[in-house]
Amino acid sequence: MPGYILRRLLGVAVILFLVSFLTFCIFFLLSPDPAVMICGKTCNPARIDQIREQLGVNQPFLAQFWQFLSGIFAGRTYGEGAAAIHCAAPCLGFSFQTNQSVVDMITARLPVSVTVAVGAAVLWLLIGISAGLVSAIKAGTWWDKGAMMFALGGISLPNYFIALVLQYVLVVQLQVLPFPSTPDFGEDPLFWFQSYIMPWTVLAFGYASMYARLTRANVLDTLGENFMRTARAKGLPSLLVLRRHALRPSLTPIVTLFGMDFAGLLGGALITETVFGLNGVGKLAADSIGKNDQPVIMAVTLMAAFFVVVANVVVDLLYAVLDPRVRVKS
Amino acid sequence: MNRTESKARDDGGALLEVRGLTVTFGTPRGDVDVVRDLSFTVDRRQTLGIVGESGSGKSMTSLAVMGLLPKGATASGSIRLDGVEILGKSDAALRKLRGNSMAMVFQDPLSSLNPYYTVGLQITEAYRAHHNVSRKAARAVAIEALDRVRIKDPHLRIDHYPHQFSGGMRQRIMIAIALCCEPDLVIADEPTTALDVTVQAQILELMADLQAETGTGMIFITHDLAVVSQVAQDVVVMNGGVQVEAGSTEQIFSAPQHDYTRALLAAIPRLDDDLEELKMVGDFRTGATR
Amino acid sequence: MTTMPTQLAVETEEKGSPFSGGGPSSARRVIRTMRKSPAVLFSAGFIALITIMAIAAPLLTHLSGWGPYEYDPSAVNADLGGIPNGPLGGIGPTHWFGVEPQSGRDIFARIAFGAQVSLLISVSATLLTTFIGVVLGTLAGFYGGWVDQVISRLMDFLMAFPSLIFMIALLSALPAGNRPFLLVVVLSVFGWPYMARVVRGQTMSLKNREFVEAAYASGASRVRIVFREVLPNLTGTIIVMATLSVPGYIGTEAGLSFLGVGVTPPTASWGQMIASAVPWYATDPMYFFVPGLFLFLTVLSFTVFGDHLSKAIDTGEAR
Repeated sequence: MPGYILRRLLGVAVILFLVSFLTFCIFFLLSPDPAVMICGKTCNPARIDQIREQLGVNQPFLAQFWQFLSGIFAGRTYGEGAAAIHCAAPCLGFSFQTNQSVVDMITARLPVSVTVAVGAAVLWLLIGISAGLVSAIKAGTWWDKGAMMFALGGISLPNYFIALVLQYVLVVQLQVLPFPSTPDFGEDPLFWFQSYIMPWTVLAFGYASMYARLTRANVLDTLGENFMRTARAKGLPSLLVLRRHALRPSLTPIVTLFGMDFAGLLGGALITETVFGLNGVGKLAADSIGKNDQPVIMAVTLMAAFFVVVANVVVDLLYAVLDPRVRVKS
Repeated sequence: MNRTESKARDDGGALLEVRGLTVTFGTPRGDVDVVRDLSFTVDRRQTLGIVGESGSGKSMTSLAVMGLLPKGATASGSIRLDGVEILGKSDAALRKLRGNSMAMVFQDPLSSLNPYYTVGLQITEAYRAHHNVSRKAARAVAIEALDRVRIKDPHLRIDHYPHQFSGGMRQRIMIAIALCCEPDLVIADEPTTALDVTVQAQILELMADLQAETGTGMIFITHDLAVVSQVAQDVVVMNGGVQVEAGSTEQIFSAPQHDYTRALLAAIPRLDDDLEELKMVGDFRTGATR
Repeated sequence: MTTMPTQLAVETEEKGSPFSGGGPSSARRVIRTMRKSPAVLFSAGFIALITIMAIAAPLLTHLSGWGPYEYDPSAVNADLGGIPNGPLGGIGPTHWFGVEPQSGRDIFARIAFGAQVSLLISVSATLLTTFIGVVLGTLAGFYGGWVDQVISRLMDFLMAFPSLIFMIALLSALPAGNRPFLLVVVLSVFGWPYMARVVRGQTMSLKNREFVEAAYASGASRVRIVFREVLPNLTGTIIVMATLSVPGYIGTEAGLSFLGVGVTPPTASWGQMIASAVPWYATDPMYFFVPGLFLFLTVLSFTVFGDHLSKAIDTGEAR
């Protein structure tokens, strides 16, 4: 097992290296000259050269990539002498737009994205799994048909569309919720909850639908297994048969899927945060795309990649814990 | 605990008495009888072989006795266990009998065991379903059960998962589960079909030994007449959901009355057979209206 | 992330369709089963409607009298910030689905041309991913060895990759140029492993089935075995997976366009129309509702159709 974990961590390092290399390539090769962008309207060639020097973009590609990479682990210093600006250890550069440290910008907004992700995850797990379970157990009934129709709608509705419909109905027409913003929990818990309930619901709807469909399919598969017949032949109470023998095989694949989905959301729910004006990492990324703020886009991409790649390993290890066929060699 | 003492009253009456059993499946195109008007009895310490091809209704018969028919299937007729009618009993009442008075061993031992739990849990849960005992006591019973099916180091093996056992070992575990509550009746549905020939022989021997020890009655379901001749005293031959022929094993083997039985017998390969003489079993469902 | 559910839905559907398939003989039976379901008829009808709308978009806008780029200042009220005249976003005999606020461009025309973009991108991406996925999947499954190793590692890498955020980064960095083409390429680069993985798995188990071994024994060449014995048995699975990936790509394209990295103005795209409707949702809800409804119904129709196709092909095989 330790050998396996080591190998996986090595794999993580390789993938993250490739991701950062590819991302860097894209921005190095495809983007317009950042010096021109920073320089703005009042610009002359001398000033552009100066900025290039400062950013280090006048150096060859590999040297720049090395600086970028070492900046993440050891920090880096832009410029020389009196004009030097030091950027501390996890250094992902400075925003072209605000000149703030990108890492600071992200850490300031991460709590909002985490709040969005956690709240939505709780909702979609509760609703998705229970709806899927009931549908499978009552397969063929009206409840099942209704729930599955609902879920079909859920996976087909784009969440920005649901977001707009909800906002229009609940905020504009019925006025039961305030216009959304990014409040602090400590200041006004009720307002905090009212602001987050719509983003949570919108995000959870799609995922819950998907999880309900998946849970239902898995449970139906498991109910047809021979070991279910064995369990009934033992004379076990039917609830115990379901709880012990059907649930675990059905839900194990869902646990691993959940790990990946949740990690994906930690990198920011771009659309949901944008539509509801929540100041999270996702909105930061979306705004930066609009302004072509490369360091920020690159940093968010790398962070999201980090979460997803790490989650991939965690999920595989979790799978080994949950499934004895993987954990215990025969 | 005296293992050889049967729980049921040994009053001379048949252990299991099935009369006019019919199993019907409702389909969109009307009802289909998969078992029709089947009658047989099983005595204590006796083994009844039910023989037939796949689709002959033999598995449905066993599920009907256990009360485990799939959705959409209904049974009619009479099934008496120890003189008590069990057909039409509530599921709660049947649950008390299942695993306790009657138990079942299935065909495929790998898929019949839940891969997520240790074999220990899968044995103890069967015992604890019918006995109000502590985990520890149930564990002792499970270790003893594993020992009885000749699994070495049962106190270690009890914490292993099904995939850590070989096919024959898994079937021994299935037998341990079936026997842990000392049932009066064991239904074995093709218990050796999925196993290698050498392992098959070991399992058959084990089942015969255990039956001699505990005195249970057994229904042995198979498509293999050769196996039946080894284990059963009486045989019912089924085809197309109906009984084609019934009688003592000797009688059936020495003087088969029905063409279908003769064809089945002729299909058993013998060492002195020429290859061309390997017979195919045709469709002899004379009485069936499917 | 937002478009992830649809993408993952493609990935999970594969579970339900092992060894589905068969040649033309079963196609008629599948069609017969499908025709019985009203849900299938509705979804097929809607898909047909959208397709006709996309193909005949220039003709339709000629009939309606308003092109997708024509401004109609008379349809909006400049004094009220440019909201459309009349109720329901200006829906009426001149503008069938209303007009955009401020510019007064005809929404019907933009929906029709948006359908063109949406279908063009999603169907092209589906064809491309299916082609790459089937070729690489069969290669990996059939030849095994180092070929399989290389292809499988590449698939693992692409599937462990945070594809959506990377697509966004890539598209935001790419220069303007032919956006729909770039979208197809980017969607396909990350989309093919899902098809390839399933094809690979099924090819591997088919390879050891008796009829393939029999074909080997009778001296058939590898290429012949792939085309005559393996692929015909995979057609069902491939068709189902391809059908179910169409709504995924429609959704992803709309999401990317919504974020401003997909199809760029003035070319119309449903996702982009909804994005530009966001500031107007309170005053002119029809502006987001019309493209949203079309997007929803299109994705729904493809999903329902794919689901039923998957079921019809499966039950056929089970018998």
